[in-house]
Amino acid sequence: MRIKVKGRDTYVATGGKPFDAKLPTLVFIHGSGLDHRTWALQTRWFAFRGWSVIAPDLPGHSLSKGKPLTSIEAMADWIWQLLDELKVKQASLIGHSQGALVALEAASRQPARARSLSAIATGAAIPVNPQLLETAQNNRPAAVEAMLTWGFGNAYQFGKSHVPGQAPIAVGSRIMASNPLETDLQACQNYTNGEAAAALVTCPSQLILATQDKMTPLRSGLALAEKITASEITKIDAGHMLPIEAPDQCLAELRQFITRLP
Amino acid sequence: MSKASFFDPATIALHSGYQPESDHGSRAVPIYQTSSYAFQDVAHGAALFNVERGGHIYSRMTNPTVQVLEQRMAALEGGVGCVCTASGMSSLMTTFATLCSAGDHIVSAAQIYGSTATLLKSTLKRFGIETTFVDINDSAAISRAVKKNTKLVFCESIGNPGLDIADIPSLAAICRKKHVPLVVDATFATPALHNPIAHGAHIVVHSLTKWIGGGGNALGGAIIDGGNFDWGLKPEKFPTLNEPYAPFHGISFFEEFGPAALSMRIRAESMRDFGAALSPQNAFLLLQGLESLALRMPKHVENAGEVAQWLLAHDAVAWVNHPSLPSHANHDLVASLFPKGAGSILSFGVKGGRDAGAAFMDALQLATNLANVGDSRTLVLHPASTTHSRLDAKAMKAGGISEDLIRVSVGIESFRDIKNDLANGLRAAQRTQKNADQKDGRKTQQKTEQTRKQTATAKPVKKKAATKKATARKTAGKTAAGK
Ligand SMILES: Cc1ncc(COP(=O)(O)O)c(C=O)c1O
Repeated sequence: MRIKVKGRDTYVATGGKPFDAKLPTLVFIHGSGLDHRTWALQTRWFAFRGWSVIAPDLPGHSLSKGKPLTSIEAMADWIWQLLDELKVKQASLIGHSQGALVALEAASRQPARARSLSAIATGAAIPVNPQLLETAQNNRPAAVEAMLTWGFGNAYQFGKSHVPGQAPIAVGSRIMASNPLETDLQACQNYTNGEAAAALVTCPSQLILATQDKMTPLRSGLALAEKITASEITKIDAGHMLPIEAPDQCLAELRQFITRLP
Repeated sequence: MSKASFFDPATIALHSGYQPESDHGSRAVPIYQTSSYAFQDVAHGAALFNVERGGHIYSRMTNPTVQVLEQRMAALEGGVGCVCTASGMSSLMTTFATLCSAGDHIVSAAQIYGSTATLLKSTLKRFGIETTFVDINDSAAISRAVKKNTKLVFCESIGNPGLDIADIPSLAAICRKKHVPLVVDATFATPALHNPIAHGAHIVVHSLTKWIGGGGNALGGAIIDGGNFDWGLKPEKFPTLNEPYAPFHGISFFEEFGPAALSMRIRAESMRDFGAALSPQNAFLLLQGLESLALRMPKHVENAGEVAQWLLAHDAVAWVNHPSLPSHANHDLVASLFPKGAGSILSFGVKGGRDAGAAFMDALQLATNLANVGDSRTLVLHPASTTHSRLDAKAMKAGGISEDLIRVSVGIESFRDIKNDLANGLRAAQRTQKNADQKDGRKTQQKTEQTRKQTATAKPVKKKAATKKATARKTAGKTAAGK
């Protein structure tokens, strides 16, 4: 669906079902340079089983208009503004990579509104290789290529695809090529509030981490888990792009966590 | 072009899309000879049907063996996805039918494969889809032919049978300006010689039956979705990819799948409804071919170049058409677009017309007389004595084919053996000519020759080829001497 957030046209995927504010709401937040399509194989399951699902394209990404936001803090505020527009008081926050930083920051800013936090392939901070940052600013296609080479795990570099006939790395590169990757990476690089935010999280939380992660190494995810009280950790043997690389396992972990929420 | 893998093409062709599976460690891609796939439980079946989870349901839509071929083709062409079908023709039909509905329009190069031309001219017309055919060498005319309801521009990167080379970067620029996708049949080039998407094309179609299979033992087709066309920019122009699709819970393919919208729609609609599925057995055979494509194509190209030069220097040959020859009308494009060579099909005129052509064919031992191209073995066809035997010279000329035309699909046998076989054929052709000379006398023969030359130069391309031929022959004479 298309809605206005702060007057800007915003695209929000709803998992194939119309949005209904009366149902428990799940927000799926994508990573750097990506969009709602990250969540194709998680959102439909929930949308067809009693949840309201919203997977927005962040401002200036893919189908959403507007200037890209330049800090994780601004993105976190934007998520709550989006939920205000939809008249949603409380929601479960699910984020991948940069999206997980946004979810973490959002949960710490309005703890009473966060029903739960699911952080996928992330850490308390995502320091960006200075060379990648520079490449992104000067030559986005080269940065996209580097990101995807690091981002996808071994099997995907061998052309594996969960969706028969697809080339997921190429799909990712097409999406990233037209999105403000450099702004997103700079926002990740600048974000230093992760540990402080983690200490303020009061909702149930889970971390789903990737053993082959070269973007946000496993140890940084484990370190984040130590800062959040009562967090559950799962490790999946795949690369950083977990929702795309291991969609079934990712969904299974989200399901077992979200269906148990009080 | 997006890189789908950090491996090089030769490696992709061998490894992409398959690593030894966990159960048995089979090194070769297994043939999943099954029509359907067991659901783990009721919930799993429901989730698959509701596209909540990826996976196989029924081999008309997807099959694990076919999937490997698809992912390799997508990676080799630099696309975001690929759908394989039962033949090259079904890939073309599927592509056209996915983008066009009744009332829509296609702009196509005039110089294309006969069955594709018939599909566009007659069959699709019955379904309300009109095609305007334009000379591939006239970019301005192609641009002018694009109308409001035009849904795609179609060409072959190397035309069958005339061997015209499409200037894909210019065509792509026109298509970007007019916001219509450029669909390229790249059968004659294969991904080993040329990647249309890297030059701006949006969709690539292959008949896998030809060089990719290489064994002449299985039919197949592939549609590669470049993922580089913005279907959402003018949503009303591409309703099949933007409007809610009722059979799939009202999804918009573009919103849901973005760059992969086209290939997902093809899978969801055409494979389900038209059902031109590639069999796993054929996918396996085609994979065997694909795995050695990077080695075979350079050999095809090398042999074709040598055969072309050798024929040029032969007394029994009236003319030779191959993009590698300076006399070819699009020769300048070859250097920029086809640095690895412009394929292994060539045609030539045998002196003495229809009878000499027939004698040539019947004297061949190695090269096979049949209606196919792209086999690893050398194949030849003389349209005037087979496919077009009921047409007279005038009717053939109208179709752009002369009575003396021989088409050769140069194989990867040793050049010496191919050459010796063709030499036998040409000797037989010369004998018919001598007999004719004795019968009719010298004068009549000269007259016939003149008529023949006019026939050979009927097509604009040939005209240029014929005028430049004399110089080409001189240079060729040197290299070919002693071979
Ligand atoms: C250029 C071209 N495209 C498509 C086809 C059709 O392919 P198939 O025979 O696999 O249907 C052919 C067959 O000769 C061809 O030459």
